[in-house]
Amino acid sequence: MGNLRQALFLGHGMATATLGSLRIACERRPRIESAMAERAGVISELDDINELVRLHQARIRRFVTCSTGDPDLADTITQDTLLRAFKGRESFRGDCSLSTWLTGIAINVTRDHLRSGRFKFWKQLKATAVDVHEMASFLPSEGVSAERRVLAKERVKELYAVLETLSYNQRTIFLMKFSEEMSVDEISEILGMGVNTVRTHLHRALKAVRSKLGATI
Amino acid sequence: MTPASSTHLSEEAFDDVLIGLGSPESETHLAVCQDCWRRVNAFRSDVALFNSASMAWTESQPVLLKPSVRKTIHRTRLAFVSWAATAAFLAVMAVSVWHHHGAAAPPGQATAPVSQPSDTEAQIAQDNQLLQAVNAAISPDEESPIDEYKLVQARHSHMKTDHK
Repeated sequence: MGNLRQALFLGHGMATATLGSLRIACERRPRIESAMAERAGVISELDDINELVRLHQARIRRFVTCSTGDPDLADTITQDTLLRAFKGRESFRGDCSLSTWLTGIAINVTRDHLRSGRFKFWKQLKATAVDVHEMASFLPSEGVSAERRVLAKERVKELYAVLETLSYNQRTIFLMKFSEEMSVDEISEILGMGVNTVRTHLHRALKAVRSKLGATI
Repeated sequence: MTPASSTHLSEEAFDDVLIGLGSPESETHLAVCQDCWRRVNAFRSDVALFNSASMAWTESQPVLLKPSVRKTIHRTRLAFVSWAATAAFLAVMAVSVWHHHGAAAPPGQATAPVSQPSDTEAQIAQDNQLLQAVNAAISPDEESPIDEYKLVQARHSHMKTDHK
């Protein structure tokens, strides 16, 4: 306010400018405060392992299951991801959402498993796979006719079948974009790939989806 | 990209719209072209169905994770405590052993390692004979490396001299 008084003495134009900056500062403050409150909320969420599991387990598990196609491996990776997040919660800077941060950890954990060869070994040994018929049957049924429900189930099965034919990178990027709803920039940062590479993967994945799902899309 | 409604979006432009990187021209076209708009909606609807079904399916899976995560964190804390307890125990043991040895040794004399009782001459000779017999059984034509020391003969002659 001292600055404001001084500016009023100096002249109207300068006073307007100072008021303008003051108004901007006042407008910014709630945003900064809300961002700080949000960050504090996220940190308390990270501090509570039960809350972390409750809020994020299913989403990470879904992402990893669809990405690897192996529900058993997805369970292990989800557990590792949540543990790593909990142990490394101090390193969360808040420059992305918690979901994005966790997805990034999940991808790194999956990569570690793929590199270690445990994935291939267990894949050969157990050959567990997602039961897509079962998955499709979990569609919400309220207010949907039986016919539409059957059609919807078929679409889910077809889309999953197409995803299975994609390369690991294409499938993962497709899921990050359309299931995790991340931006291309976020995907690029998490995977350490160029934006154009991410776009190329997405274009290829979409081309495959279009060609398999028929002329409707 | 093509002019609105005369021809439809190219595949690349259509994909860019789905990715969220559609150009303003594509958005303008979508606003007037029902066919392209329907295609975009069909894709989004399929993806929404897939997301909905996969999430519901995942949530229906048994939650085996929570207790094990808890257990692991609990285990981490327990591990630290048990390591500290073990270290303290070892330190106490080391001090007591050092104190015991220090007290047992005569003053001014360093504690020497206790040697094993040495084998007798007869035992050594018997072992050498056994080794030669084994060697002869394995490869009778080859000369045993032990022969060059003439241990057995030397022992025999030594024993004969003693008898005389």
